[in-house]
Amino acid sequence: MKKTLLSGLSVLLIMLALIGCSSNSNTPESSGNSADPESSAPASAPAEGEKLDPVTLKIILPGDRPADMDVIIEEAEKRMADTINVKLDLVFVPFSDLASKTQVMLASGEDVDLIFDAPWLHMEQMIAAGYYEPLEDLLAQYGQDAVSVRSQQMFDANKFQGKIYALPLGNSHLDGRTYLIRKDLREKYGVAPIKSYEELIAFANKIKENEKDIIPLLASGQPGQKDISWGAFRAFMTRDPEILRSDALGQSLVLHYKNNDGKVYNLFDEMDPTVWSWIEDARKLYTDGLIHPDVLAIKDANAVFESGDVAIYATNGFGVPAAMKASIPKNVPGAEVEAVTFMPLEKGKITTSFKQANFQAIPKVSKNKERAMMFLNWTAQKENYDLLAYGIEGTNYEAIGDDQYKTLPDSKYSYFPYAWVWNPTLDRLDAGLDPDAIEHLKFNTVADNLIASKLTGFSFNPEPVANEVSLYSAIEDKYYSSLFNGVSDPTETWNKLKSEGEAYLKKIQVELQKQIDEFLATK
Amino acid sequence: MIKPREEHTNETEAGERMSFIREITKNKYLYLLALPGLAFLIVFAYIPLSGHLIAFKKYRLADGLWGSKFVGFDNFKFFFMSADWYKVTFNTAFLNGLFLIFGLGIALILALFLNEIRHALFKKLAQSFIFMPYFISWLVVSMMAFAFLNTTDGMVNHTLEAYGAEKVNWYLKAEVWPAFLTLIYVWKFAGYYSIIFLAAITGISGEYYESARIDGATRFQQIIHITIPLIRSVVIVLGLLGVGRIFYGDFGMIYGIIGDNSALYSTTDVIDTYTYRALRVLSDFSKSSAVVLYQSVMGLITILIFNQIAKKIDKDSGLF
Repeated sequence: MKKTLLSGLSVLLIMLALIGCSSNSNTPESSGNSADPESSAPASAPAEGEKLDPVTLKIILPGDRPADMDVIIEEAEKRMADTINVKLDLVFVPFSDLASKTQVMLASGEDVDLIFDAPWLHMEQMIAAGYYEPLEDLLAQYGQDAVSVRSQQMFDANKFQGKIYALPLGNSHLDGRTYLIRKDLREKYGVAPIKSYEELIAFANKIKENEKDIIPLLASGQPGQKDISWGAFRAFMTRDPEILRSDALGQSLVLHYKNNDGKVYNLFDEMDPTVWSWIEDARKLYTDGLIHPDVLAIKDANAVFESGDVAIYATNGFGVPAAMKASIPKNVPGAEVEAVTFMPLEKGKITTSFKQANFQAIPKVSKNKERAMMFLNWTAQKENYDLLAYGIEGTNYEAIGDDQYKTLPDSKYSYFPYAWVWNPTLDRLDAGLDPDAIEHLKFNTVADNLIASKLTGFSFNPEPVANEVSLYSAIEDKYYSSLFNGVSDPTETWNKLKSEGEAYLKKIQVELQKQIDEFLATK
Repeated sequence: MIKPREEHTNETEAGERMSFIREITKNKYLYLLALPGLAFLIVFAYIPLSGHLIAFKKYRLADGLWGSKFVGFDNFKFFFMSADWYKVTFNTAFLNGLFLIFGLGIALILALFLNEIRHALFKKLAQSFIFMPYFISWLVVSMMAFAFLNTTDGMVNHTLEAYGAEKVNWYLKAEVWPAFLTLIYVWKFAGYYSIIFLAAITGISGEYYESARIDGATRFQQIIHITIPLIRSVVIVLGLLGVGRIFYGDFGMIYGIIGDNSALYSTTDVIDTYTYRALRVLSDFSKSSAVVLYQSVMGLITILIFNQIAKKIDKDSGLF
């Protein structure tokens, strides 16, 4: 009995070994492609009228397939038939499975021509594993339009290991941050439109005095959204000093950059007085009963604001989201929301690293790399971009001028240009946004309006300090949100965080600084 | 199920092999019956065992399981180097212990009560009603909990206010949450377990009760001396199965209800939620496998201990 069991197990192990081996045999195959002989003479995209053989591109996109997708694909294929002759096989992967499914697709060498990836997914790992084709030559040969609709900064900043491994997708060079405010309440108490943080707090106090059932302030209390906790959020609105999050920890301010000097600052070494004042201010607001008492327990802060129980809400983006604009008056008759941001509209005030959050990559296994690039290039033409981003004009959307649009009420084509075509030049803005938000969004599409960070193009490799990063993250998650939302005593909480996390953070800081110095030396 | 026993330890190897084949041929239909179950176990329980190997490697998908570099116990460092590992381990075992004791205990009481109900329709209704929470997802449960307990318009705080008491910010009071979680667990699962117990009770022959009644036993005495002893083995098996998983925090439950509320970590943070948070930034296969391996080994040790204890109490009720 025992013997048979043993031999059975060993057969299993051998099978496993085979499976394990076969999964890595598909990567090196086409790595020589980037050195194509033709690349020395960059030819333009196929001349007008020249018809290519039909090719079907398999494209992996995140999210759910919109109901009207087939109509749009049909129209797109019709338009491409005479030139690049591409047929589209779009595969949608739900966000919940995105990381694992795309990873398996790449690892198993599935024949995919374009694939969505992102730094928040597994971009660095997949590049390190050698699944993606570098795009320099393809872009030079077939991608002139795809290049011209994006700024040079966007390409420079989104290189990985010094190469362009994927096409950056973004409609802006800077993320918006906004305080959403209940306009109806503001007008009810005769408060003038809010222009500064002091006015904002004065309005919050008015609410506190007069509206018993409304909580004045809400921000995010979840460790996954540390950057929009009440105190930390103020970093986005403050320019002097301009405190920027580090590449090592993402959302935390404990390690940060300032002065654009290529140095990593550590709050454990020296507490920045401005940051400390934010923490103390948050504490005062919380103990005064202005910040929502359950801020740490609220999982969906949007929903709480939409229910109409909150007067001021700190969140991402510019303007009032369309969904919120529609839902709040339904929940509270007569309620109205406006967006206030203190980010400047002045050239050369804000520093950014031009990093984008979404990308399309061409896997090495693709047999149609040229055609995939031609397709990306095709999407960078105005009328094609409009089709893929907003659908069919008159059915799905209505164009307003050159740069705005309105979704038509019975459109079944949802908005997902960020997944495959987004760029700052061709993107239209939702005409329903308020003028101030539109001004901000337009301002930030122009790369030259912003200061280029010295670290533009730098990416941090966490591998050497992986243990420290996970240990420190777990510690920071215990204290950060309650510290910056004022839920617990600042000094006591800070000291706990410091005593538990200081040693790990120091190692991360040293490693980050080392990588930055190396990066700056080669620049 | 008929358990083929090996009662020939003194025989030669050849004889052993012979008897193995004979055993198979003799009971081939029984083994055939067991085949799907065996296949299931092999595919979903034995093959994944080899995945524990990942815990000792610097696993990269591109390199495959065998190609990845062997790093020994390096992947365990992030967990055991932290000051919190024994706290989250304690929390996991403590919460699961509470769930197990109160979950099974109250389910047993419920089953006994349900069994005594004579009105058939009422019994069916009561049973369904108690069973219902089992089908409610943790996400919905968490919303219900929030509606009860939140500070601004929660039902509990409204009630407290109505009686003139101070509002309590439950979501900052870590010490009460083990009790809340146990309450929620019992509410959700007691119905489910009580059905299992009820099935076992229904299997008890009516003759026992009949003769007991003739001897003048009261209802209560019948429960104490007939029903409970006869379903003891079911209780022990369910208990042992629960003990085997005592180091696996119910991520869906804890993360669903507590979420990322850092004020409650001190009593509610379990191994699974801690690992999730620590690796959220890195999403590292090997490190999470290392933690799973730790949980499995701890689970194995506890189940071996408790199985011995169960066998001491009642010779036949051990799992193995």
